[in-house]
Amino acid sequence: MNVTFNKRDPVYVQVIRHFKEQIATGTFEPGQEIPSRRELANRLKINPNTAQRAYKEMEEAGLIYTERNLPSKITKDEKILQSVRKELIMEAVDNFVHSVRSINVPVEEVLTLVKEKYESGREGDEA
Amino acid sequence: MIEVNDMKKKFGHKHVLKGVSFTAEKGEITCIIGINGVGKTTILNAIMNLTPLNGGQILIDGDTISKHSYEKITFIPDAIIMQPNMTITEAMQFMADFYDSWNQQRATELLDFFKLKESEKINNLSKGNRAKVNLLLGLALDVDYLLMDEPFSGIDIFSREQIADVFTSHLVEDRGVIITTHEINDIEHLIDKVVLLDEGKVLKQFNSEEVRETEGKSVVDVMREVYQP
Repeated sequence: MNVTFNKRDPVYVQVIRHFKEQIATGTFEPGQEIPSRRELANRLKINPNTAQRAYKEMEEAGLIYTERNLPSKITKDEKILQSVRKELIMEAVDNFVHSVRSINVPVEEVLTLVKEKYESGREGDEA
Repeated sequence: MIEVNDMKKKFGHKHVLKGVSFTAEKGEITCIIGINGVGKTTILNAIMNLTPLNGGQILIDGDTISKHSYEKITFIPDAIIMQPNMTITEAMQFMADFYDSWNQQRATELLDFFKLKESEKINNLSKGNRAKVNLLLGLALDVDYLLMDEPFSGIDIFSREQIADVFTSHLVEDRGVIITTHEINDIEHLIDKVVLLDEGKVLKQFNSEEVRETEGKSVVDVMREVYQP
């Protein structure tokens, strides 16, 4: 687990974001155990109170759950997992649209380019 | 909680502290920052009752400071004060003889954490390792509050990283920590609270995560505003 934090966004928000990315990409699987708060603080080199805050927020949002005194786990709730994925995709699309729109490219041209790039990128991945 | 109210201190005619007030909570890391000059170490000395004040009050968990404060607080100076020809073992034994609150188990864990060799003489240690031994001797005491004077000053980057790691480990646990520093970059994500000091006064104190959340500013952003308006 290696995360570079920026200095101007709350660290707990950046931690949650990191978890969402790991969930969306499948690095964190549904039901998978996650590190304790102290371990997380230690690994990410962040304040233990901040790690605590991130876990509290994720617990409330249903991203993670804790049964009795066992380690917390990633949610198995399909609806929440889907919404995390959707949220990250929408965010990426929004950012993309925002930067493309400012260059004034017709949407058809953009879509063709996106498709080309996406396909060639995939081949590249496989090679 | 450590409460410092209107702390005043003069050295001769020089007013070093002109009414300093702040609080430091248990379970939090409070960072006293001052870019230039005196005052920071004096504040820590005063909390330890090592220097008489010219005004103001210090409360530890609601009580005024007394000789019993030593059961609750320890001060880790910016350089090791043990005899240089002592080995690490001897320095640890010295602390164990002197303090009832010495926790040998934690001391052993810290040796391991810092990868230090007990049999080495303090004399022969690198600057970074000497700083680690210094920290170990204080952290191994079972006290609620740790005051650290410039723990990151003048040592190499890897030692700084290792020392920073202590703060997120169980070795500090839920104790209250006050650190003085003039350099914040390495530890911006580690600290809870910041007290900005200049010319013997507190210019601003804030929670670092809160300032990121409500104002979108880094600790250094706030320092820039305060110190270079």
